[in-house]
Amino acid sequence: MNANEVIEAYIRDVAVHLPLAQRDDVARELRALLAEELQARAESEGVAADADLAVALARGFGRPAEVAARYHGPSHLIDPADTPLFLQSTCIGLAVIWVAGLLGHLSDGVDEAHGGWLGLAGQWWTHTAIPSLWWPGALLACFALAAWIRRRWPARAEWTPRAPDHIPGGRGLLALGLAGVLLGLFVLAEPTRLLDMMLGGGAAPEAYRALTYAPEFRRFLGPLVWLLVALNVPLILAAIVTGRWSARLRGANVVLSLVFCAAAAWVVLDGPVFLAAQSDQLLKPLLVLIVAVTLLGLAVKWYRRVQPVPR
Amino acid sequence: MGTDDTLGKLELELRRGVLVLATLSQLRQPRYGYALRQALGEHGLPIEEGTLYPLLRRLEAQGVLQSEWRTEDGPPRRYYVLNSAGRALLKQLAATWQGMNLAMDRLLEDEDTK
Repeated sequence: MNANEVIEAYIRDVAVHLPLAQRDDVARELRALLAEELQARAESEGVAADADLAVALARGFGRPAEVAARYHGPSHLIDPADTPLFLQSTCIGLAVIWVAGLLGHLSDGVDEAHGGWLGLAGQWWTHTAIPSLWWPGALLACFALAAWIRRRWPARAEWTPRAPDHIPGGRGLLALGLAGVLLGLFVLAEPTRLLDMMLGGGAAPEAYRALTYAPEFRRFLGPLVWLLVALNVPLILAAIVTGRWSARLRGANVVLSLVFCAAAAWVVLDGPVFLAAQSDQLLKPLLVLIVAVTLLGLAVKWYRRVQPVPR
Repeated sequence: MGTDDTLGKLELELRRGVLVLATLSQLRQPRYGYALRQALGEHGLPIEEGTLYPLLRRLEAQGVLQSEWRTEDGPPRRYYVLNSAGRALLKQLAATWQGMNLAMDRLLEDEDTK
């Protein structure tokens, strides 16, 4: 390639990233400017305006996509200020999905007939790792939408003061949460009630068996889990009545969450929960996921803590 | 002060801050990109071509410059010049710059006398 061809190639690579309306005009101007720059540089350095000098000039000008971006100003999907949060959310979410998927595959056991550990890794890769890419995609869409809304309606993005003990979503959302906990307690006490509620008592006997607790579970761990879930009721009620999550309530909530996680881990590692083994195969991975999400939530709160006053 | 790298980055930030004002100041008369870069360089403010040429287009899109192709002085060149909005903007930015310059002088003098 000669110097002219190098410049033409560079202009093509820049112009292709530009909006159609200004592409040809910018390319024409760039051609004139680069030719002049090349000539001036050759004269000042006392060398020939050859292909090598043209390549050096083009490289100094910048990567074609970056140069094109400079023509229409900065544009980005995610606000730079949101990038650390986006990266954190992506990494943490992927880690949770990957670990949960791995535990799920491990719970199925290592099948030597299907390649043993290598087969399990392959299963994890195709059924967990690759499909997990929906998570960064969904996050990207959410962050981009939030950035667009902030640019479109800047007033909505203005900071508003918020007390540390405020209730996210307000009392209404908390009341909804309370209703969910009460319904959960009702079902947890006797899961077959779910069938009665949905099918009016007309479910098959196998369905009732699938949701009937094993006697060992009903003896100790079942009531313990029910009690721990039930302890959420006074906490939520107190928050609704006072209209805030006081430091004491938040502390109690953390302790309750940790105890619940310990109990849930015990349930996972202990014997059967239901009479039907298939039900346990569904429930136990779900419990692992709940524990992981709960611990993750606590870890995020701990990480985000701020103490402006030194201890 | 930290390393040369830090100094270089901070100097770049300072230069970016005056880039628009410097460019507008040299476009009270029509100039094409390369000649403008030469003029800025001769005044002690060299600006990379990859930064300056796109900036001219952006300023034109913002409605402070107007441009036209001319062929009478040699090869075809796109000439840029301030329009009335650009002249008003230059006046305002120049006043702001002079105010900042005075403030910085005072700040740096205070620091020197300590």
